[in-house]
Amino acid sequence: MNVPGFLAAAGVECSKLVAQLKVRIMFVACLAGPIAFAVAMRVQSSVPSDTLFGRSVTESGFAVPLVVLGFAALWAFPVLASVVGGDLFSAEDRYGTWKTVLTRSRSRADIFAGKVLAALLFSLLSVVTVAVSSVAAGVLVVGPQPLIDLSGTLVSPAQALIRVALAWLSVLPPAFGFTALAVALSVGTRSSAAGIGLPVVAGLLMQLCAFVDGPEVVHRMLITSAFVAWHGLFVESPYYGPLVYGTTVSGVYFVVCLVVAYRMLRRRDIGG
Amino acid sequence: MRVLLGLVRRDAGAVRLLGCDLHSTAGPLPDGVAGCVETPAFYPYLSGRRNLSLLARLDGDNQIAASDAVGSLLEQVGLAAEADVAVGGYSAGMRQRLGLAAALLRSPRLLFLDEPTSALDPAGAREVRTIARRLADEGAAVVLSSHDMAEVEQLCSVLTVLNHGRVVFSGSIEELRTLAPAAVHALLRTSDDRAALDLASQRAGVKAQLVPATDDGGLEVSADIEALDAYVIALGREGVAVRALECRPRSLESLFLDLTRHDRAVDTSVVALPTLQDDSRASAVVS
Repeated sequence: MNVPGFLAAAGVECSKLVAQLKVRIMFVACLAGPIAFAVAMRVQSSVPSDTLFGRSVTESGFAVPLVVLGFAALWAFPVLASVVGGDLFSAEDRYGTWKTVLTRSRSRADIFAGKVLAALLFSLLSVVTVAVSSVAAGVLVVGPQPLIDLSGTLVSPAQALIRVALAWLSVLPPAFGFTALAVALSVGTRSSAAGIGLPVVAGLLMQLCAFVDGPEVVHRMLITSAFVAWHGLFVESPYYGPLVYGTTVSGVYFVVCLVVAYRMLRRRDIGG
Repeated sequence: MRVLLGLVRRDAGAVRLLGCDLHSTAGPLPDGVAGCVETPAFYPYLSGRRNLSLLARLDGDNQIAASDAVGSLLEQVGLAAEADVAVGGYSAGMRQRLGLAAALLRSPRLLFLDEPTSALDPAGAREVRTIARRLADEGAAVVLSSHDMAEVEQLCSVLTVLNHGRVVFSGSIEELRTLAPAAVHALLRTSDDRAALDLASQRAGVKAQLVPATDDGGLEVSADIEALDAYVIALGREGVAVRALECRPRSLESLFLDLTRHDRAVDTSVVALPTLQDDSRASAVVS
């Protein structure tokens, strides 16, 4: 694999993604969703009090991105992380275009790395878009008031913004882990439905497992635990153990899924 | 052909293209080698021009040079007017032409074409043959795989006949003709073609079939020269006048069928497939 080849392949994948309607719709939803949520909270009289920071959603604009983050961790991130990664490889099977892209001046490693980079870029941009949109919506619709953290301590707006940014940053490793899982399923099954749908189902099953008593080691192996590791940032004495552990577990998912996916693609015969 | 293009792993042997060893399916296709396998496929939501531009980027071409090359190639293959239409709206023939343009984008010195005219109308097929001929004239080696023996005869100078994956002949068309049994093919016109056909069916070593009246009638006759002489004399004895006897070179198709007949007969009796010649194909080099 050489760097120009890998970057050329990533550029081609990004050009294809930009041309797809579903990708544009996803970004519009990522941008508009948090704004619609903030406006709805501002207009209605009740607040989502059973959600973390739900009670503060009309008192500090910095609570809005945290409520959105809590919701997205449960439902949206597995979808956002899989929607491109789970389709990039199987789409070549659907269109029959493997023989077209693999008979050019790029190796399979270049094509694989380019596609993975494009999928990771999409996951990164979608998470950043939701984060920026929800922070902007909170500050503009509710206001930049200080935030009361989980210990009941008042946090200054500047400090709250830093912690919100760190919280959103902390969900990138598990999001990338889900993207890698989607890539492996897309390569292995050659089906976009499986590539996108199975990671979402896996995410839901992991959430269910987290609610059930079971061996600690199983709970610790759940990549979804990393989506809620940011809670430790919003106490008087922040703790980072779950963040480090969650990032490590995400890294293991990422590496194992991508190695398996690459081996499958490398050994595959492109038949008729 | 998929093995040669690095799409399918080989079971044994080695692949060497333009002096480069193709070690595995994981590497890139060597520069100067291009191919078009079966019906070419492209991204249906992108235009023909955009598809080619992206493929040029994969080949490492810079954007300006690629844009010029893409425009010129689209014109060459007759797709200039539809260049900005999404490929999803293209006919099979248009995709075939776009596939050829995608292969030519690599400025090939060795071009593999797999059934390149199968989805084309006669005019489109003629254009593709012209391009293949021109590339060969410019020094490129064009390897054509086809079931259409007339096309092979028209385009190729060297051919290899494969039957169930085994080479049954490799050489020039002239060499193939010299290997053929000494049968003569002739067009025979008589005063009574039906009676001439009946007489042929009674004589060993003479095969005949009626030519449709729409093609001016007569009989196509295949026989060794001695058997043909005896047959013509017998026609006179039976009162059937010979009005014309025109000897013709054997068609490549009949030579191909001779080469693959034995295997087809065996396989047909085993699996009862009447069209097993689909497994036999000729690949040929236009040079």
